[in-house]
Amino acid sequence: MSVMNTSQLSLIEKFLDLATVRQSLLVSNIANVDTPGYRAQDIDFHGELVRALNQDVGVPVPATVRQVPGLLSRPDGNNVSVDREGLLLAETQLKYQAAIQAMRSEFSLVRAAVNAT
Amino acid sequence: MNLFGMMQLSGSALLAERERAELTATNLANAETTRTVEGGPYRKQNVVFQASHPFATGFAATLASFTDIHTQTVQVARVFEDHSAPIRRFDPSHPDADATGYVDLPNVNPVEEIVDLVEAARSYQMNVSAIQTTKAMIQAAIQIAA
Repeated sequence: MSVMNTSQLSLIEKFLDLATVRQSLLVSNIANVDTPGYRAQDIDFHGELVRALNQDVGVPVPATVRQVPGLLSRPDGNNVSVDREGLLLAETQLKYQAAIQAMRSEFSLVRAAVNAT
Repeated sequence: MNLFGMMQLSGSALLAERERAELTATNLANAETTRTVEGGPYRKQNVVFQASHPFATGFAATLASFTDIHTQTVQVARVFEDHSAPIRRFDPSHPDADATGYVDLPNVNPVEEIVDLVEAARSYQMNVSAIQTTKAMIQAAIQIAA
């Protein structure tokens, strides 16, 4: 195993990819909070991460986007919950930053190895 | 969709909510206007929001259709006039009163307008929060190399 191609780095990379997909859907949901008939969308974060890790080779399969079940629909057919979106927005941001920190510490190991002499 | 695209997406919502708030302000300002260019009292205006896929035309749309099939921007599809009946008030001294002494006033309900305005402002703030989150993520990503 080479130091630049660790399983940790690919795990972090997939995590960041999924966090970006989720963020895009959250942003889309929030933008359409007043659009009649719009339905909130999301991905199964954990399930998608497990799936991405088990699929090591080949073209990455895009995450399956689904409508969020169990949300209360307003009379205009829109079911975006501001509380849910706001909470997940904060959560996704923190998860993303945590993953970036993990990636930085991976790289600092590489840097340490480079400077070892 | 990349992180910068998400900021554009939230930006589309800011524009839409701003237009909605502007129309509410117009309605409130003209709540007592009995004369318009088209004749008759002012009529309440409102917006129709529509979800649409980003970059809706040309090459970019084709390219995006392969990757971003789920994220949707919001836009003001059209501005419509509310054609419900004007509010009639008995005021014979008013220059625009008809033969029976009633004046046709705009069909603007100030309470409805204020509720709309607050809703637009809250949605605007929500989208600003979304932009700040996306911004923090971009800044974090820049830090990888630092």
